[in-house]
Amino acid sequence: MPEPVIASVGASPLGRTDLPGRDLFSVALAEAFDELPDPSEIVEAVYVGNQSESYEHQIMQGTLLAEWAGLRHVPAERVEGCAAAGALALRHAVKDVRNGEHEAVLACGVEKMTSAGTSGATDALSAAFDRAIEQRSGITAPSQYALLGQRYLHETDATERDLAEIAVKNHANAARNPRAQFPKEIDVATVLESDPVAPPLKLYDCAPVGDGAAAVLVTTGEMAADLDQPQVRVAGSGASANNIAVAERDMTDIAGARIAAETAYEEAGIDAEAVDIAEVHDAFTVCEALLAEAAGFAPTGTGYQSYQPPAERANGWTDVQLSPSGGLKARGHPIGATGLLQALEAYEQLTGAAGDRVVEDAETALLLNEGGVADAVTVGHVLTTAEAQ
Amino acid sequence: MTDGDLDAGGSTMSDSDLDATDPRTLPGFFDALADGELLGGVCVDCGQVLLPPRPACYACGSRSVDVEPQSPEGQIFSYTEVHTPPPAFAADAPYTVAVVELADGGRLLGRVTADYADVTIGDAVELTVREPTATEREVALDYESDWPVHVFEPR
Repeated sequence: MPEPVIASVGASPLGRTDLPGRDLFSVALAEAFDELPDPSEIVEAVYVGNQSESYEHQIMQGTLLAEWAGLRHVPAERVEGCAAAGALALRHAVKDVRNGEHEAVLACGVEKMTSAGTSGATDALSAAFDRAIEQRSGITAPSQYALLGQRYLHETDATERDLAEIAVKNHANAARNPRAQFPKEIDVATVLESDPVAPPLKLYDCAPVGDGAAAVLVTTGEMAADLDQPQVRVAGSGASANNIAVAERDMTDIAGARIAAETAYEEAGIDAEAVDIAEVHDAFTVCEALLAEAAGFAPTGTGYQSYQPPAERANGWTDVQLSPSGGLKARGHPIGATGLLQALEAYEQLTGAAGDRVVEDAETALLLNEGGVADAVTVGHVLTTAEAQ
Repeated sequence: MTDGDLDAGGSTMSDSDLDATDPRTLPGFFDALADGELLGGVCVDCGQVLLPPRPACYACGSRSVDVEPQSPEGQIFSYTEVHTPPPAFAADAPYTVAVVELADGGRLLGRVTADYADVTIGDAVELTVREPTATEREVALDYESDWPVHVFEPR
């Protein structure tokens, strides 16, 4: 079986932009293909991660973006899984290359979240929750994660201050990331004193609403070499759906994420201790704590220590660095593009293109991308340098 | 799929019988709820409670699911307060939402008729049912417009 690699990446500016979704995609694609032949010469299929048609009243994103890339008469489709759509698109591309169906597949993601203000985004995101019970009770994305957060604070020694420290750490990382929506440092008081959104979560515990697109070219290793591109191996891929209603799940053991990560580790032939960097789905600060535990980086109840230097964390923690990009919290979270922005960060880290924020000697990365609330669906990928085994 | 044992037997009800009066469908569940009765699915094979009832058990995969009345009494398992509501519920905010663990073992999300500051994990609550408000009917889909709304009241 051919081993899929990531051969190139690109992204649009993130945040409040004046470009519609298809144009954000064009910007991301232009960066990814800056030093490559045109997409029409190499791309054989297209997958588009996209959360909602309500932002631009547009479905058929596969057809649209393939056309805007200069591709016609190739298989092209939108992939939907709320905020996990991007990693699901990546996973489809990876499987197509792995099973020999295609040599080069474009995985991309796009979201134009600012088209109808905060209330439009709140409404669009609430469609991710069970219609019959959850939506009719007035639940929102922040309040769903607040239910997890409240429970996590109840069951562990974590405090609201610890969650705030996760936001501070991720903003500090974003301050060194020229792609970040919020490339600025903040302090703990700023988080703790910010407006309540859904207690215990406050405004600065929450990833922002923003626009963005990302493009990731997945190829065989042979093609990446022919294209003279730095390559990162996609050594493992796992995905897992859980209940749609958060009430029916374990709210602090994020089983879907654990299974997605373990599947990806198993395919890659590694365990959690081998992971140097992880881009996890910190849509809200508590997610980073929960996912550190689900990924096997931290003993149960200690994931909130992700902001601390490895030597100061509890016994049993690995020395992984979480969210070097600044995470969803500060790098940005244009829903359908997020899973691909995680892959972009790992690609840059593992190919020496991460500039000031490089994690020295990193060879192995885990990506965890969630959709719905927490592990309604989770996708995990293990990426490694070409040299790592 | 389990261990090559793929015989089709064991279901207590055939899904081909499902219609809108069956409480394993949403119309059937909400019809009963409108009469004040909370129905849950109960897995014949593993005992998992399913709220609302559905044809299959997520815990073990069984399609043998009975429907049984569930106690309306329960305890707060987790809770929060919505400050940034969806547009349809803007006039209600802030409001308290909780996950409640019911006495018969199922868990259900719903609003709580109490201020956030007056709620804590472990508090006793009881599920009650009301008709949808005019605003709720406005944002309802056609088939939802008569469905009741459940809320949890402190006990």
